[in-house]
Amino acid sequence: MTPHDPVPEPPETTPRRRFLALAGATALVAAGLGLLATLLRSVVPEVLYEPARRFPVGRPADFPPGSVTFVGERRLFVFNTPAGFYSVSAVCTHLGCNVAHQEGRGFACPCHGSTFDEEGRVRKGPAAWPLPRYAMSVSRRGELVVDTRRTVGPGFRLRA
Amino acid sequence: MSAGLRRLYRSVFRVGWPRTPKQRLQAMLSSLLLHLHPTRVRVHVLRPSYTLGLGLASFFLFAVLTVTGLALMLYYVPHPGGAYRSMLDLRYAVAFGPFLRNAHRWAAHGMVAVVFLHMCRVFFTGAYKPPREFNWVIGVLLLLLTLALSFTGYLLPWDQLAFWAITVGTSIVAYFPLLGPQVRYLLLGGYEIGQAALLRFYVLHCLILPLAMAGLVALHFWRVRKDGGLSAPAHASERRVMAWPHLVLRELLVLVVVLVLVNAFAVAVNAPLEDIADATRTPNPAKAPWYFLGLQELVHYGAIFGGVAVPTALVLALLLLPYVDTDPRGVGLWFSPERRAANALFACLALAVVAVTVIGTFFRGPNWAWVVPWAR
Repeated sequence: MTPHDPVPEPPETTPRRRFLALAGATALVAAGLGLLATLLRSVVPEVLYEPARRFPVGRPADFPPGSVTFVGERRLFVFNTPAGFYSVSAVCTHLGCNVAHQEGRGFACPCHGSTFDEEGRVRKGPAAWPLPRYAMSVSRRGELVVDTRRTVGPGFRLRA
Repeated sequence: MSAGLRRLYRSVFRVGWPRTPKQRLQAMLSSLLLHLHPTRVRVHVLRPSYTLGLGLASFFLFAVLTVTGLALMLYYVPHPGGAYRSMLDLRYAVAFGPFLRNAHRWAAHGMVAVVFLHMCRVFFTGAYKPPREFNWVIGVLLLLLTLALSFTGYLLPWDQLAFWAITVGTSIVAYFPLLGPQVRYLLLGGYEIGQAALLRFYVLHCLILPLAMAGLVALHFWRVRKDGGLSAPAHASERRVMAWPHLVLRELLVLVVVLVLVNAFAVAVNAPLEDIADATRTPNPAKAPWYFLGLQELVHYGAIFGGVAVPTALVLALLLLPYVDTDPRGVGLWFSPERRAANALFACLALAVVAVTVIGTFFRGPNWAWVVPWAR
């Protein structure tokens, strides 16, 4: 072949060539998308190694009458009022910092200055939602159990 | 030089030390690093007062971060039990460990600042106008990647500062409409900041984001060449000089300045390290890294407003800018009078960003209440 040979013309497309080209393109796209979907799905965790969402926090006697207890490792407060027990989340609904309890004046968040009343209702923003109040029950072993999957209204009190 | 050494040198560099014009051309063309440059450069773009060397300085800081980051990786354990211990090891038990960590920290902070200033330079000189629109878009993506790298790196020391900054940051993610909570779940590998989140941030910080960065940086540089070199006014002199030595020496000068500053900061100022991360104890005030304190200040007025609406609008405006403002006048000059309105608008936005950052950094105390820093 000398440098002056003309470039050979591409062969004429026949139905068979067109079919094979289409089949090849389809296979390439399908394989690529399949791989991508597998990859993306695999990064969504199936099993979490996180603490249980329903757990005991202690015996009723561990919470003196009239007290407010911060259960640090569960990030919630347990109130023991004359009407009964209730629990309020310590995780600020604004951006996830722990709120601090101020005796008789509700909660204040150190991150962006939201404040809440004793029931967890927003007193001053930027938080838009109240601190969740979690359902409580007494286990057969006589322990107070908090279920963070279930929230309850402001009037909830557990007699124990 | 003996004949043997000369042969060895030639086998590596192909051309001798550039002296003649022909050798200078060949030097630029035959080296992998240098061939990204043109062989001859317009005098206009060589003036230090035009570019301030900011783009190049960002690149050199990225290089410093890559090298120091690789060294840190040899000691770092991405596990809640080991991460903080590696920080203590780096401080007390690794030769030049504090220097390495300081250099990485200050180079990272410097890179955020320099990339921001580079963007300001490109705007005020109108360098985003056609045909450079797409390279501006890549530049915006590089700014976002720089912030993402800083953010993911921030969690790794696993101290109180890290833990609560990431708590705030990932909670902002959850406010995004539609997919926010799902993206947060994916980012953390669960609902809480723990082992899974640390490992994910580590892989993002050390591999995924740097690779994306390297690819986009290469594209950014390549596009500078393909778009006709750095921007210059239409009436500017077409006079060109040889890239070797005029461009190469100026670039080396930027490298020297960057290295000296990083070294000086790393020797003089220690990177902070607070107590080990503790989910039960929120420091008061809990602050994000300084480059996100403007965001945190805005978030204080409302999470949707400050964490979603404002940043989304800003990023969209930046991405669309070169396709909206295509007026070819005023390219290649600082603060061109033909671009007074655009420059004023951008200056206001940039100053607003700086202002909220300064407020968040210096004027906010416990419970994010207003404090005056000099009234102690």
